[in-house]
Amino acid sequence: MALVVPNPPEQPRRVKVYELRNNDWFDRGTGYCTGQVLNDEPHIQVKSEEEEDRLLLETRIVKDDGYQKQQETLIVWTEPNGTDMALSFQEPEGCAAIWDFVSHVQNRIMSLSSTDDILSDDNESILYSVKLPKPELNILSSIENMMHTLTINSAGRDSLAKFIINEDYIPKLVPLLEMAEDMEMLPELFSLCRIMKIIILLNDSTIIEYIVTDEVAMGVVGILEYDPDFPTHKANHRSYLADNSRFKQVVPIDDPDIEKKIHQTYRLQYLKDVVLARILDDPTFSVLNSLIFFNQVDIVQHLQTNTTFLKALFDLFASDPLPPEEVQRRKHGVQFLQQCASIAKNLQGPSRSQLYQNLIQHGLFSVIEYALLNGDPATRIAGTEILVCMLDNDSGMMRNFIFKQIQEKTKPLTDTLIELLLNEEDLGVKAQVADAIKVLLDPSQAQPMEGLGKVSEMMNSMTATRRPPEDLPTEVFFSNYYDKSAKRLFKPLTDLEKRAPITFLSSQESALYTHLLELLCFFVRHHLFRNKYFILSENIAPRVAQLLSAREKFVQLAALKFFRACVQLNDEFYNRQLIKNKLLEPILNIVIETMPKDNLLNSACLEFFEFIKREGIKLLITHLVEQYRDKLQSITYVDTFSSLMVKYDQLHDKTVPYSADEDATPRNSMNGGKRWEGLKDLDAAEEEYFNGSDDDEEVEYSAVENSQKRIKTGGKAVLGVSSSTSPAASIKSLVDYPDDDDVMDTEDAEGEAVKVDSNSVSAAASDPGIENLNIASRASSVGADGAVEDGSSGTTATTTAGATAGDDLVMAGSLPPTPDRLSEKRRREEEAEEDGMERLLRSTKKRSPSVGKKGGVSSPSSTPSGGGGGGGGGGNGKKISISFASKGENGKGKKEDKREEKEKEKEEV
Amino acid sequence: MSDLDGAVELLRQCRPIPELQVREICFKAREILIEEANVQIVDAPVTICGDIHGQFHDLMELFKVGGDCPDTNYLFMGDFVDRGFYSLESFLLLLCLKVRFPDRITLIRGNHESRQITTVYGFYDECIRKYGSANVWRYCCDVFDYLALGALVIGAGTSVQPTRSADGDDIETRVREAEDEVEIEVIGLGGVVTRQMLRREAGMINSTNLTPSALPHLSSSGPAGPLLTGIPGTGASGNSRGIATPNNAPANTGGAVLCVHGGLSPLIDSVDKIRLLDRKQEVPHDGAMCDLLWSDPEEIDGWGLSPRGAGFLFGADIVKQFNHLNNLTLIARAHQLVMEGFKEMFDSSIVTVWSAPNYCYRCGNVAAILELGEDNSNAVLRSGGEEVLFNRENTRRLASTYMGGSMKRGGPGRRYRVFEAAAQDSRGMPSKKPMPYYFL
Repeated sequence: MALVVPNPPEQPRRVKVYELRNNDWFDRGTGYCTGQVLNDEPHIQVKSEEEEDRLLLETRIVKDDGYQKQQETLIVWTEPNGTDMALSFQEPEGCAAIWDFVSHVQNRIMSLSSTDDILSDDNESILYSVKLPKPELNILSSIENMMHTLTINSAGRDSLAKFIINEDYIPKLVPLLEMAEDMEMLPELFSLCRIMKIIILLNDSTIIEYIVTDEVAMGVVGILEYDPDFPTHKANHRSYLADNSRFKQVVPIDDPDIEKKIHQTYRLQYLKDVVLARILDDPTFSVLNSLIFFNQVDIVQHLQTNTTFLKALFDLFASDPLPPEEVQRRKHGVQFLQQCASIAKNLQGPSRSQLYQNLIQHGLFSVIEYALLNGDPATRIAGTEILVCMLDNDSGMMRNFIFKQIQEKTKPLTDTLIELLLNEEDLGVKAQVADAIKVLLDPSQAQPMEGLGKVSEMMNSMTATRRPPEDLPTEVFFSNYYDKSAKRLFKPLTDLEKRAPITFLSSQESALYTHLLELLCFFVRHHLFRNKYFILSENIAPRVAQLLSAREKFVQLAALKFFRACVQLNDEFYNRQLIKNKLLEPILNIVIETMPKDNLLNSACLEFFEFIKREGIKLLITHLVEQYRDKLQSITYVDTFSSLMVKYDQLHDKTVPYSADEDATPRNSMNGGKRWEGLKDLDAAEEEYFNGSDDDEEVEYSAVENSQKRIKTGGKAVLGVSSSTSPAASIKSLVDYPDDDDVMDTEDAEGEAVKVDSNSVSAAASDPGIENLNIASRASSVGADGAVEDGSSGTTATTTAGATAGDDLVMAGSLPPTPDRLSEKRRREEEAEEDGMERLLRSTKKRSPSVGKKGGVSSPSSTPSGGGGGGGGGGNGKKISISFASKGENGKGKKEDKREEKEKEKEEV
Repeated sequence: MSDLDGAVELLRQCRPIPELQVREICFKAREILIEEANVQIVDAPVTICGDIHGQFHDLMELFKVGGDCPDTNYLFMGDFVDRGFYSLESFLLLLCLKVRFPDRITLIRGNHESRQITTVYGFYDECIRKYGSANVWRYCCDVFDYLALGALVIGAGTSVQPTRSADGDDIETRVREAEDEVEIEVIGLGGVVTRQMLRREAGMINSTNLTPSALPHLSSSGPAGPLLTGIPGTGASGNSRGIATPNNAPANTGGAVLCVHGGLSPLIDSVDKIRLLDRKQEVPHDGAMCDLLWSDPEEIDGWGLSPRGAGFLFGADIVKQFNHLNNLTLIARAHQLVMEGFKEMFDSSIVTVWSAPNYCYRCGNVAAILELGEDNSNAVLRSGGEEVLFNRENTRRLASTYMGGSMKRGGPGRRYRVFEAAAQDSRGMPSKKPMPYYFL
């Protein structure tokens, strides 16, 4: 049985191999996983990471639907000998790559087996033998009923699906449509439609692939036009899909198979978005999505290797002068490439890069330049869109290209973009170009990672604020930007010097200033050193201050954001700039002007001063109070300014040692943690928050917090609890991912607790609740190793009984996620909401947060960085007073009940 | 401004408006929203609505049930976009109304009014389909950044005003007599009020002449109406739970109602603290602003981690403390699907209002809006405390109990209007717009 599998994933993916022994997942070891085709048979191999010759796993992918992908990083299946196996990937991408391979292979086997293998398969498994009568108009309703009965259980569904495929049932249904239409037999038409829906919702990929083929597609969508849910409404799917003019062929694709595939993909999308949009369940939705995905992979794969095609495509842009009749074709050519780029977003890293390499070789950059300078806004948009896609894929590649341009003394792309931003009249294009510039100049955009564990571990150990090592082209690229381009970019700002007080800004101007200010903020945060020099030498700050008096409040806001970004850094350089130019005065004036109004601008200004106060930025406080005491005293409707003065007095009263304890409000928190902030002073901030306040209400409040707040995981599943309700009951401990929160394993908990106990005795202060939290959160901000043990132990130390340790530890482990991971997590969260079971599985997994994008896969002892798990990102986490101490022993049971209840009643939004 | 009226007209037909006009409307909206406070003050009477999620036809149904804007003063608590197929039309219609009648409609931000979330849950995709570029999405996202974070309804009375429903004349009088604080009105298809019921505090029942016979719909026990039977659990259960009510009653009947999309934040102990946020930003991953949009109430003590990965869970003690400190009688929030359309928790100190019926076109839930009346009554203290059993004809959810608390606290008079999804036929088949053409 020969299998043609395109691109078996040969790139090694770091993975842990598990085997189920006595209901426990036994860890076979960590290694690198590849998919291979050996002797025409598809295999999965895992080579040990320690001894390269040792195979941890070598298995043939068999025809069996026992393979499951769970969450983002797990593949679970049963070996032919009955052993349950699991692969737990370090990264979702790796898992996806192997999973694609598995599902692809299975699709192939499926389609082959439907011809030669089906009988033997039937013998193996217990299936209903399904026999439906040949479809006739007069027996449609009984067919419908029979089908309905069959779909009650999964075996029935499977055998029904097989029957429909084997007996060519769909082509037999299609002719009935025309007959029923001719005779205007509405009930029969409805019945047909219901039957077709049942067939589609069997969720069989072979069937779905089949219904979009040329033979039956029109018949199938025709049947679906008569939806009994809309008895007075007939859709016009056939005429929509039959309209061939929707397919724009810039350059003829001479491969009929690929062309067919393109049409089929469009039909699949139409099915998904229009015909079935309302009734799709999640499994069918994902089957449609993956079919679309695989088709697109095939199409793009074909096109990028078809040099004749590519040459013809890019030749379109070569002829000069442009024949008038070609204008439209060129526009379509750009849009074609834009569509390629947006499809490429879904491809895996390496094949995406390969696609761009191929396109670039044929002249993609010149097409982009052509598009950016085009007279038609839609084409300019398409051009920037391609550019942004490429930047997202690999900004290093783009910088290398610009590096070459600089060396060849041609106009660098950066400058093209800057000119476009400055001169563009279409505000949509302008915004997009501003975005493109931002991504291009984003130094934190690291080289795309190839998913190798070592690399990501290395990356992990670096803090978020540190920039990746800069190679020469990047260096040249950035210095060229600051030497030449930046001046041009911010010229409209520097030109303000000659401009008298700003009274009127055109909509173009105000849009431009807003974009420039946003970029400037971005550079303040991300280009620490170069940008400082630039701002000083070009004297930017006073120019921005001029915009504070713009009539448009949103321009004022944008200007304010710049100063806020400067203050955020708490950098003496910026602070002195502000003081020297007296730039806090206009901001103070805005407060006074807008004072009674309580509008957005007013709030933003208050937040600005609130931040200075909270951070206790001595330079600025001193400046403010000494220069503007009268003004400060006049603002009484909030206590921000009076506390600024109190703080000033404290700072300058030598008899009272300065303490940061004045405020109950934690830094960061008011405005959300900013990721560029380092971890350095978080502990201080936490202490600042927890150690009390000078305000009665505050005291009361935090007292409440300290005494009453206890953490519960709420809907969060606890290890192994939820798995009993899931179909994969046996894989319970899979979720017990052995990495940083391994330390929270219940088995170890007690020992851990004891150990920690001794560690944290000295730390135990008069208020154990507070102390605990400090320890715990500090631990999580440091990383997962060791420190978490301390944290959890601190927690345990105050817990009355060792028995509850497990619970509390679990909680400690689920402390703040990193922002990066959070979005991902949130996404999963939301995805899960429709499917209770799925959600259960996921939520179980969720509490092992370690396998984030950059997470280390191995156990804590071997990964010093501790992965991107709960630990790594603690620095950006929330700081609230949560006491772990008083969790009752019955917590677990309750939790479980609650979760189930929640499942039913509260799908989240 | 005929231009704007034209846009409203187009949008009411669920037709998208030209890109340039979208931009103009967004710019105008920005000017209006920038003048609003982080917590916008709104005078009662007002009708409070929860998540819409792009279900345009159901939004139209909502306006039918609640009255048209500007006749009714509306407050929408966010999540206008994503999930449904008409996020664009829904949001733009609301925005147009905001620009047209800035004082009659208040929009606050939900967690879906964010760049990151909309790229995943459909709004971005929808804009691309409908306009071929991301421009419109950008304009809308810019507006999102200016939306208020919450609203404070002041001057809400302890009783609700008579129903405005066209065909409810005789019911109106009864309601007036009842002068009760919580009223639930179920609106069937076609806008007919099919059932009304009052939830009464047992101890107060003697002050009215309300008897079961006065409310035929309610009294009918057994399988009476085709749609819904309410069983007010008066009498027997009243004694046990009504005792403490008078003392427990809030002294601050004039207290305000805080409306926010998600819930409370451990970093915010007073409404004034919200004023100190710079809201013009993408919804952050944590911090006060994030919590206000992401948190959920939950039957726990204190604070808990949220399974959503953002925001927190908060318990009854937190809500009561917060309400007490801020002189609030109620917190109204959205953010969670409730099958009955609304759900009061923690002795009616917080309510979830959900306004997207048959969510995602398949959840089978009903939706609700909450009407708060004006404070023109004699502020008689009312307190609710009955369990009302909903029996929907639709047996998928046979019965659902709400208001399980043992002691009720007073609060503003509230009328919930419960409604179902727009009739399928009124809108054709809901679907996404197909891609107009394709190259690949």
